[in-house]
Amino acid sequence: MSEQFEPKIVAFVCNWCTYAGADLAGTSRTKYATNVSIIRFPCTGRIDFMLLMKAFENGADGIIVSGCHPNDCHYTSGNFHARRRWIVFRSLLDFMGFDTDRITFSWVSAAEGAKWAGLVDETTQRIREKGAFTDFKKLDCSTFEKISHDAITE
Amino acid sequence: MTPLQNKVAELFENGTISLMIGYKNAINKLAVPCFIDHATQVEQLIYTPECKGNLSVYLHKAEIKQAKKIGILANIATLRSLVQLTSENQLSDIEKTVITINAQNEVLVFDNMEKVEEYVQANFPEYTEEDKKLLEQLNSMTRAERWQYWSEQFAACVKCYACRAVCPMCYCSSCTVECNQPQWIKVSSETTGNLEWHTMRAMHLAGRCINCGECGRICPVGIPVHLLTAQMNLDIEKEFGSKTGFSCNSGYALNTFKPEDKEQFIK
Repeated sequence: MSEQFEPKIVAFVCNWCTYAGADLAGTSRTKYATNVSIIRFPCTGRIDFMLLMKAFENGADGIIVSGCHPNDCHYTSGNFHARRRWIVFRSLLDFMGFDTDRITFSWVSAAEGAKWAGLVDETTQRIREKGAFTDFKKLDCSTFEKISHDAITE
Repeated sequence: MTPLQNKVAELFENGTISLMIGYKNAINKLAVPCFIDHATQVEQLIYTPECKGNLSVYLHKAEIKQAKKIGILANIATLRSLVQLTSENQLSDIEKTVITINAQNEVLVFDNMEKVEEYVQANFPEYTEEDKKLLEQLNSMTRAERWQYWSEQFAACVKCYACRAVCPMCYCSSCTVECNQPQWIKVSSETTGNLEWHTMRAMHLAGRCINCGECGRICPVGIPVHLLTAQMNLDIEKEFGSKTGFSCNSGYALNTFKPEDKEQFIK
């Protein structure tokens, strides 16, 4: 019997809006996909792009990045800075041929528990259809193949 | 004596500069950087189409900074990096005289950055035909083909970090690749780590790269790494309207924001 593929989703969320929104989803007893592991950050401005790369490298199949709506940042402008960074990072990933559909960017406020639940469900479903993220693993394999091939030809 | 050598000798004699960074001949018609501290040595100085290296990278070195008055021979890419470095407040502690040779073969001497900025804005360089063609080719590929292309390129990377050493914008005294608590970039040269290194390099240079193309030219295994930052610059100009190395007060695109910045992907 083949089991359904369950993706690992890592969510990078800001403390003030999305984390509170996810908390609201919990206290409201909203049911949503259990595939998500939430990592709480002080602000979306703190979410470095290298953290996303490391999540993928360590086996995440999909990522959610979420924070306060524009103009709602606890620190006034953290999400505006983050937005610019995401625009640039996303276009860099796309230029390198990385599947940017595996990263969901969103604004979820502390009052939007239902939006959060829907976002997690929708992302989980999308990644489930895409299957496991294997691009990085294949890269590592290609390195080893290259090494062994070189060793043989020597 | 060429007009350039005469001019530099004159600057040494009237005490405007005490150290000159320029190019000299090397084997195989190559031009290599040279450092001159006396008027008697100016005959080494050359300026040919082979003088491609971006000399502004040396302005970050402590030994160079010790010489109080520095003259620097600059091509247009170097002038642009001087403008960008000024906008990042990296050259405020150096007294510098910028020497360039324009298309009419005249030697121009700039004693302040406003004049350099004016010259750069009047002669703003385009992307080279070769780069334009490569970028167009990459952008017309499907996503999977691009992934294939870059993974093959990055598989060859030996992590020598020459792209970092040659870049005038990579001036941090400690780099993330040397950080091992946590280890952001793997030390060994394997493809995932190589990809992470090039992603990080491109992100840290996005909106700051001045398209001198030195990183791609210097790469010992021939990876066109300069295309990553070149594409980022195009995107940033399209999205935020800022040009790198254009104005001494422009700052850095990712260091600022506009509330009306537009995107389509944030749900």
